[in-house]
Amino acid sequence: MNNVSVQMSERRRGLVWFIVPVIALAVLVVGLWPGADPATDPEARAYNLAVRLKCPICAGESLAGSQTDLAKDLRIRIADEIEAGSTDEEIIAMFVVNYGEQVLLDPPAAGWGIMLWAVPLGALAVGVVAIVGLRRRDRDPAGVEK
Amino acid sequence: MIAAAGYLSIVVALVSAIALTVQGVRVSRSPNPDPARVKIPAIGLVLGGVAAFTLLEIGILTHDFSIAYVAKNTALATPFVFLLAGGWVALAGSVVLWGLMLSLFTWLVWRKLRVGDGLGVLALGIIGAVAVFWFGLMATAANPFEVCTEVVNGFCAASSWWPLSAAAAPLDGIGPNPLLANHILMAVHPPLLYVGYVGFTVPFAFAIAALIRSDTGRVWLDRTHRWSLVAWIFLTAGILLGGWWSYEVLGWGGYWAWDPVENAALLPWIAATAFIHSAIVQSRRSMLQAWNFVLVIVTFALTIFGTFLTRSGVIASVHAFSLSVVGPVLLIFLGLIVFGSFGLFAARASTVASSPRLDSLVSREGFILLNNLLMTLFGFTVLFGTLYPLLVEAFTGREVAVGRPFFDRVAVPLAILVLLAIGTGSTAPWRLASGKVLWQRTRVGLNVGLAVAAISVLVGVGSVSVIVIIGLAGFVIANIVAFYLHQSSRAHGGGKSWPTALASTVRNDRGFWGGQVAHIGVALIAVAIGTTSALAIRTEVPLAVGETAVVEGYCVKYIEPFSRVEPTRNVQGARIAILDSTCSTTRAVLEPRLHEYPKFGQVITTPQVWTTWIDDVYLSIASLSDSGIRLKVLIFPLQWLVWVGGLTIVAGGTLALGRKRRDQSATPERGEQRERADV
Repeated sequence: MNNVSVQMSERRRGLVWFIVPVIALAVLVVGLWPGADPATDPEARAYNLAVRLKCPICAGESLAGSQTDLAKDLRIRIADEIEAGSTDEEIIAMFVVNYGEQVLLDPPAAGWGIMLWAVPLGALAVGVVAIVGLRRRDRDPAGVEK
Repeated sequence: MIAAAGYLSIVVALVSAIALTVQGVRVSRSPNPDPARVKIPAIGLVLGGVAAFTLLEIGILTHDFSIAYVAKNTALATPFVFLLAGGWVALAGSVVLWGLMLSLFTWLVWRKLRVGDGLGVLALGIIGAVAVFWFGLMATAANPFEVCTEVVNGFCAASSWWPLSAAAAPLDGIGPNPLLANHILMAVHPPLLYVGYVGFTVPFAFAIAALIRSDTGRVWLDRTHRWSLVAWIFLTAGILLGGWWSYEVLGWGGYWAWDPVENAALLPWIAATAFIHSAIVQSRRSMLQAWNFVLVIVTFALTIFGTFLTRSGVIASVHAFSLSVVGPVLLIFLGLIVFGSFGLFAARASTVASSPRLDSLVSREGFILLNNLLMTLFGFTVLFGTLYPLLVEAFTGREVAVGRPFFDRVAVPLAILVLLAIGTGSTAPWRLASGKVLWQRTRVGLNVGLAVAAISVLVGVGSVSVIVIIGLAGFVIANIVAFYLHQSSRAHGGGKSWPTALASTVRNDRGFWGGQVAHIGVALIAVAIGTTSALAIRTEVPLAVGETAVVEGYCVKYIEPFSRVEPTRNVQGARIAILDSTCSTTRAVLEPRLHEYPKFGQVITTPQVWTTWIDDVYLSIASLSDSGIRLKVLIFPLQWLVWVGGLTIVAGGTLALGRKRRDQSATPERGEQRERADV
């Protein structure tokens, strides 16, 4: 009798373990399927652009973070451009023309900019090799513990 | 008078520090090292350090404007809290605070020394050598007690380092940088950060002493375990409060901008986090001896590097509050530390035991290694990104900037991996985790994680990376809670009542459970960073008096403008009511303001925040005129979770401080038993 109820509750628990992830996965798939585009809201777009651009007269602040008058004007400029129908790339290009490439807080991966990708990836490779090496040394007879 | 006494105390501390170094080295080489023989220099250092700081504060509080530092950084009208904080708003003062803490730590270390403790005495000598640098800096390039010798137009125009020079005092001082005197948090954040920075001197000194003495076992690590943890806790709290200050003061609604100076505080934290984890592996599994030396040296070097970055003005930053000749001096010190320490390490490499007995990558130590890989990679990349503009400019002369997009691109994937590693690894058994055990300990989290991710989609999160991070945070927290309940239920099954069982589980291994609490804090912060970035609402509304606007379920109403004159600033503000979405019931009244500091010709936008369980409503004035205002309305969902998560990390660290390492004193057999009991 007791055994049966234990079996029942285990089966019910197994059912929960099954149903919860299935529903959750279904929601995730359905929710993300159309590739919901979060950047259609003009204000969010303007902010995302301001984050990528450096305030030209500030000490290391982005357009989004700076409280200077110039930054305020440039934020309005971005909003106006979005309203006028410019794409993100066009607005960024406009800033590069006006203020030079140093306005980009994310330097393009060309020339020196390649290092911003290559160096971290190189470091990752070195780290992985080091850890795998630590594992390998174990099989090396010389590394037998004392 | 105060200046002379202050300078004298710096000299006393400097001389004591030199004596401590020399005597520390000598005594440690004697056959039976007696700490009593370094007592006098240690006391001298403490007295000098405490006196220097106290005298500086007295000078500030009594408005002794004949001291150039006091005249520059404080004023008669400065409120009391910011007078106190005046002791560390600028470079020279903050070095004094640094010296105070270092001398107090020297005393705490000395108290624990026993006769015959050569390692400890030598470590004290190393701390003395570090103190020589800081007090030497105070006595020369960053003298806080420089005497004002000439007053022009009411300002101190010239000053002399010689404390007995004929003094001329302006009638009033200039006062602190407005950004630093705008919020109470600025009085608290730097001292916390400094305790953290300075605290790492102690483990560093013990590591160097261990290398010099070729005593490279785990003794230095065990003795400094609590020091590292305390320093790490303070560093965590300091960074957290710094973020909070940014949020409350800088007016754009963010708490982290990947600014070079913010990175400078984050870098030692990252290295220290890696160190704390790899130290556990050494004490439990006798691995990573060499790596721990590297990490502790890097952590300490990064604290100096952080100070250099903040104080040298070499990199443009919003937080670089003082520019001076101290930069090159700090850079030389940094070079000495890095080359000296690693040179010593290389010379002693043969004495550092290497016994890499990694049985399996799928084990607790395997996951901690993964943590170390991720932390090292993270730290290295943040360092590289911070220095990249300098490198490019040095080689090509071109100006470039690296900011949020780069750091986010690095941090988000690493955060995902870190959460995955925490959720899987922190409850995994040592040595070898079988697939079955791993599945048992992670399946609850997998389900909860999936469910939380699904809920976040239903709530409207659109960004895939944020959904993944929220799901993984659920995974981490659920696994830890499930493991906790599982362990406690075994104690409960052994006849204990549930409350006793729950409490005794923690009490038996406070180090482990403190770590898990901190892990939960990390997961909470990850969720909050996700929601506040992906679900934030940012909008600007024009309002005339009496008008309302509806923003995302809230109605804001411009009640009236106001203005008042305060001793140090003119305040202009707008009284704004926040009502429910139908604009009928008032729920809060906020007063976002513009603070004008006439002496500095600077206007600071001061936002005001209304916090609820769901979100923060953050109001900030974009522009204010007679016809009305343009009001920035920012809404950040679950913003409070950032602070609560941070506090949870601090609480976890504090819990772990009380850990009693039973296996340390126990016989090896009992240690083994415990290990098996853990599985």
